[in-house]
Amino acid sequence: MDIVLGIQVEDSVIIATSKAFTRGISVLKTTDDKTRVLNDHNLMAFTGESGDTVQFAELMQANIQLHGMREQVDLRPKAIASFVRGQLAKSLRSRKPFQVNVLLAGFDETTNLPNLSMIDYLGTRVDLPYAAHGYAAFYTMSLLDHHYRSNMSVDDGLRILKMCSKELSTRMPIDFKGLYVKVVDANGIREVDFE
Amino acid sequence: MSGYDKVEYALEAVKRGTCAVGVKGKEVVVLGCEKRTTLKLQDPRITPSKINKVDNHVLLAFAGLNADARILIDKARVEAQSHKLTVEDPVTIEYLTKYVAGVQQRFTQSGGVRPFGIATLIAGFDENDNTPRLYLTEPSGIYSAWKANSIGKSSKTVREFLEKNYSKYEEEGTELSDEETIKLTIKSLLEVVQTGAKNIEIAVMKPNRVIKYLDNDEIAKVVEEIEAEKAAEAEKKKPKH
Amino acid sequence: MSRRYDSRTTIFSPEGRLYQVEYALEAISHAGTAIGVLAKDGVVLAAEKKVTSLLLEQDTSAEKMYVLNDNMLCAVAGMNADALILINHSRVIAQQYLKEYNEEIPCETLVRRLCDVKQGYTQHGGLRPFGVSFIFAGFDDRYGFQLYSSNPSGNYSGWKATSAGANTSSAQTLLKQDYKDDMTLEEAKELALKVLSKTMDSTSLSSEKIEFATVKLNSKGIVVHRIWKPTEIDQLLKSTGVVGDDDDEFS
Repeated sequence: MDIVLGIQVEDSVIIATSKAFTRGISVLKTTDDKTRVLNDHNLMAFTGESGDTVQFAELMQANIQLHGMREQVDLRPKAIASFVRGQLAKSLRSRKPFQVNVLLAGFDETTNLPNLSMIDYLGTRVDLPYAAHGYAAFYTMSLLDHHYRSNMSVDDGLRILKMCSKELSTRMPIDFKGLYVKVVDANGIREVDFE
Repeated sequence: MSGYDKVEYALEAVKRGTCAVGVKGKEVVVLGCEKRTTLKLQDPRITPSKINKVDNHVLLAFAGLNADARILIDKARVEAQSHKLTVEDPVTIEYLTKYVAGVQQRFTQSGGVRPFGIATLIAGFDENDNTPRLYLTEPSGIYSAWKANSIGKSSKTVREFLEKNYSKYEEEGTELSDEETIKLTIKSLLEVVQTGAKNIEIAVMKPNRVIKYLDNDEIAKVVEEIEAEKAAEAEKKKPKH
Repeated sequence: MSRRYDSRTTIFSPEGRLYQVEYALEAISHAGTAIGVLAKDGVVLAAEKKVTSLLLEQDTSAEKMYVLNDNMLCAVAGMNADALILINHSRVIAQQYLKEYNEEIPCETLVRRLCDVKQGYTQHGGLRPFGVSFIFAGFDDRYGFQLYSSNPSGNYSGWKATSAGANTSSAQTLLKQDYKDDMTLEEAKELALKVLSKTMDSTSLSSEKIEFATVKLNSKGIVVHRIWKPTEIDQLLKSTGVVGDDDDEFS
């Protein structure tokens, strides 16, 4: 029941992930960060089989870092999305596939555009204005459908995210221990104070 | 020809490469190298540097065969990421040096290969540590830690210069500040680079993954300073009539 | 010399040089000249064909120019069989990159990957180095139009204008004299042909003796590269006035 949520606004992408690390019916940790920094302008949020998630995210991180080091220029969001999708699709056809779903938040420095990609463990990739994995989608999509505008500012985006968070707290059957919220824009990746 | 000769000869290839220098300060390590003049018809946008990033906290400068360096640096980059993936922490500078030297050693021993025709200076700071690190690796696979050293063409001249000038600070019991370290690096390079700032490249490393490449104007400013000092000194030495 | 060239793993000479690599370079210095010129709106490659025979099929016997991917091509100077191995390899690398990132491989990346293969053959495997130099012309969205050269050692560099093969030093001198920054593709074409005509052994240029290729953007901003057909080359030769009509002499 992890929450992984992304909203792309005019000049950035907002990513929200739940802080609870749960196993079965227990919450084991309340400060779990379900994101990894891929490079200066790309962030990956993940959910799925615990163990697989971090393993996969860090594998992608290492590969993307290596690419940046070799080419002296970082991979761009679209290229990263293709790469990650390819890796998941390849893994799906292996003996033991990674059961990981991800959101990729990126900012393309060449086109000056933000990008949000949603990829599931089957290798399905969609680039979307807002996206969520798992149960969170049921509670938040209607809110986003209603309030989302493509030319919104980050603050507008955060306001919608507040509504989403409130709805989730009200309706979700478990306590997800709050959200970590990160923003990816031209200046890079930063965490924002949300609660 | 014995296997030992081929390593000796690889050292000759190193000496044919342009000069690279590394100098440690109190909380800084500086790498500098001689940059070949771009020919008239060369595309100035594409100039492979002799100073290369291996990871966000490690730089490697080399002297010798360019193509060999590319391959060795790539191996180092892969190891740096692979190490981080398996043990969480980024490589220490010494670990990476050992790895690079290990690869170089392997290519001296097995049949059907020749050694890498390069020497490297590996510099940086370990994670959460303010101690500057500077290592040297050779084609034979030997590695060593240094306060300051140089590789490549005329490296002997530069090393002697560094020995003489670095010890001044040691005698005084002071450690070099950032500015002094940069200045000493450039000054030592000027021993062999006659054409001044435009043929010098400088990278400054500080703790916590701070890497700064000096631009041409910044280097030129230091060169001017050094020249002014030299002129003043020469003036002093002039016999008074 | 050829025995030693083929003999065993490349080793350092007492002066720290790689003899086998230098033999390979020597072999290339007899190959047909290849020239590349970078313009602000495109890149030109021109090369001298050494194999000429009236019996040779003109249209199907490209020997100097090869397409690598949708935005890059190259000219070859040296041993053709060696070149084909490397060209095949780089075509595979380019498509793998496209498959992985859904983005064309940056020019320098492809050149470097190819040069890494060349380097490997100078260091291990008991094989001789590749006896071939390339001139690459391409376009990518990082640097725009680009021109590279690579040699058997596995070194590469970026150029505004360059040459490989026979008479390369005189070609370089001519290029240095006449190259201007901000050249247009038209001017670059003319320069390439002019330099080639002066460095070739034979006096008159014709499609039998040269190959020609260009990279540019079309009106939609999409990269187009083209290896020119013999008839087009003849037309170009006439229109640029690098050679007059052969018949003129007899009229």
